[in-house]
Amino acid sequence: MNKHLNEGQLRAALDGELDAEGLMHLKACSDCQARQKALQTQVKLIADQLTFLSSPTKDARLPASTAWHRFNQQKLNRKEIPMYKKLFALPLIRYGLPALLVLTLIIAVPDIRAFASELLNLFRVQQVTVVPVDFTGMQQLEGVVGRDISQLISDSITMKKEPGEPVNAASAEEASQLAGFNVRAPEGQTPSRISVMSGAYFSFTIDRDKAQALLDEAGRSDLFLPEEVDGADVSVNIPSSVSIAFGTCPEPSNEGEVEREMERETTTSGSPGRVYKDCIILAQIPSPEVSAPASLDIAKLAQLGLEFTGMTAEEAAEFTSTVDWTSTLIVPIPKNAASYEQVTVDGVTGTLIERPSDDAPQFALFWVKDGIIYTIGGLGTNTQKALEIANSLP
Amino acid sequence: MDESLRHESVSHPMKLRKSKSISNNFESLFHEYWATVNRLLLRMVIDPAEAEDLALETFFRLYKYRPASDEEFNIGGWLHRVAANLALQSIRSFKRREQYELKAGKGALEESPENQPPEIFGEQENRRVVRIALAQMNPRQAELLVMRYSGMAYKDIAAALSLSPTSIGPLLLRAEREFEKHYRALTQEEER
Repeated sequence: MNKHLNEGQLRAALDGELDAEGLMHLKACSDCQARQKALQTQVKLIADQLTFLSSPTKDARLPASTAWHRFNQQKLNRKEIPMYKKLFALPLIRYGLPALLVLTLIIAVPDIRAFASELLNLFRVQQVTVVPVDFTGMQQLEGVVGRDISQLISDSITMKKEPGEPVNAASAEEASQLAGFNVRAPEGQTPSRISVMSGAYFSFTIDRDKAQALLDEAGRSDLFLPEEVDGADVSVNIPSSVSIAFGTCPEPSNEGEVEREMERETTTSGSPGRVYKDCIILAQIPSPEVSAPASLDIAKLAQLGLEFTGMTAEEAAEFTSTVDWTSTLIVPIPKNAASYEQVTVDGVTGTLIERPSDDAPQFALFWVKDGIIYTIGGLGTNTQKALEIANSLP
Repeated sequence: MDESLRHESVSHPMKLRKSKSISNNFESLFHEYWATVNRLLLRMVIDPAEAEDLALETFFRLYKYRPASDEEFNIGGWLHRVAANLALQSIRSFKRREQYELKAGKGALEESPENQPPEIFGEQENRRVVRIALAQMNPRQAELLVMRYSGMAYKDIAAALSLSPTSIGPLLLRAEREFEKHYRALTQEEER
C-alpha cells in the first residue's frame, strides 16, 4: 500500500483494528505515524470521558434466575398483539389496498425536473421496490412520540371523501361495475368473498415546525426538514379497490368489529394463525394519484425518511439514487425478520415478501400491471398458492 | 498504541456468535446474556431498578422480535444495541423530567456536593454530563460510541449496525467528534 492512511484507518489502528496491509504501511510511514500520534492525543481526551462504559461494576443485584422468573410473570401480564392480528386490523382488509398503500409510504413520483414548470406534480405507481429497514433503531417511536406523530398526521389531514364500508359483489363483473375498472378474478378458483371498497380523497398540509419538533423529540435533531416543505399542500386520490378472499378470512368491516370477531373466533377455536391459516386475499386497485407542489423535493424527503429508519446518510443517498422516483412504490420490510425475492408473476416481475415465524408466518406478493397494483397476502407459508392465483388471472 | 484506547474484544461476553435457534433456546440465552445486559444498563442509567426494568424490556424485545434467520443473527450485538437505545431514551426522558422539576422548583437535593467527597461528586457529575451528551447525539452515533466503549469489537459492531467493519473506524471518529461538541457545549453551559 503506497497511499497514506486516512483518518478512519488511523482511528482503527488506535483500537488495534487496522488490517495487516494498513499496519505494514503504518510501520514504514513516518508521515502516517505523526498523524496517528496527533489523532491519538485528540481521541484520548474523548476516550477518557467514555471509559466508564467498560469499567467494572458490581454484579447485577438481580440474579439471572430471579430475573427469568420476573420475565415470565411480566410476560403473562402483557397482552401481546401478534403481528397477524395487526395484519387483519390493518385497512388491507377493511379498506382494501388503498390505505395499505398509504401506510407503506406509497409514493410514485414523476421526474420533478420534467414538471418543474408546472404547478403540481402528479404521482403514479408503475413498479414496486422493497427496502429492508432495521426497525431496531426506531423503538423511540413507541409511546409518547408515536402518539404525537399519529396526532400530527390526523391534525394535518382533511378527508374530502371518506372510504365507505365494503360492499360484497357476487362476481368479478359486478365488482368491475362497482369499482369502475376491469377486475380480474383467477380462473378455476372459487372465492369465498368479493368486496369492493369505494375510494377516498384527502389532502394534507405539512407543518414543518411541528414535524421537526417531533424529529427532535425522537432524538433525530440531526435530520433537518427543508424550510420549503412548510405549508405544502398534498392531495391524495385513492380509487376504489377490490379484494377477493379465498379460504376462511375475517369479515372486512371497521376495525372494532374485526377485532371483536377475531377475539370471538380465536377464543373458541384457537389463535388467528390457526383459524385463518388458509386465508389468502387478492387485492387490486388502479394507481392512486398524489399531487404536490412542484417545489416539493420528494427524493430529499424520502432520503430523510430512510435516515429516520436507521440508514446512514450515505446508505439513504445510495438507495434513493438507485430508485426510479418517477413511478416507484416503496415497501419497507423489517430487515432480518423478513426476506424478499423477485418473481415472475402475471407476465411481469413482482416481489414476494415472506416473514417466517413459528406461530404466524406471513407472506405478500406485489406486482403492477397495466396501471393496476395487485397484491396477494396471507398467513402461513403457502406462497405457491399465491403464485398459482396470480398466474391464473385472465 | 495507547492502551487506554484499546478494548479487549476476545473475552467480551457480547461477542458475535451464531445461535442455533432463538425460539428454542430463549431461556438459556436469557441466562447467558442477562448479567452482561444488566451491567451495561447499570453503567448507563445508574439506578439499579431502572437498569433492571430496561434489561427486562430488552429481553422482551428479543422475545417478540424472533428474527427469520438465526444463523446470521448476532444476538449479543442486537441485545447490546437495543439496551443502549433504551438507556439513551431513558436518559433523554429523565433529562426532560429533571428540567421540568427544576422549573417547578424541585431541585434534586440528594445530589448536593456537601453529601459526598468532592472527587466522587466531580466524577459523578462528569459522567452525568457525558450521559446527557450521548443522549443529545444522533442515536446511531451514540449507539456506536456506547457499543465501542463498552468493549465490542469492530466486527461485532458492524454486524449489529449492518455496516462493513472497515467503515467503523471513520464512523467512530465522526461520532467521537460529535460527542466532543455536545460535551463541550454542556460543560460550558454548566460553568455559566
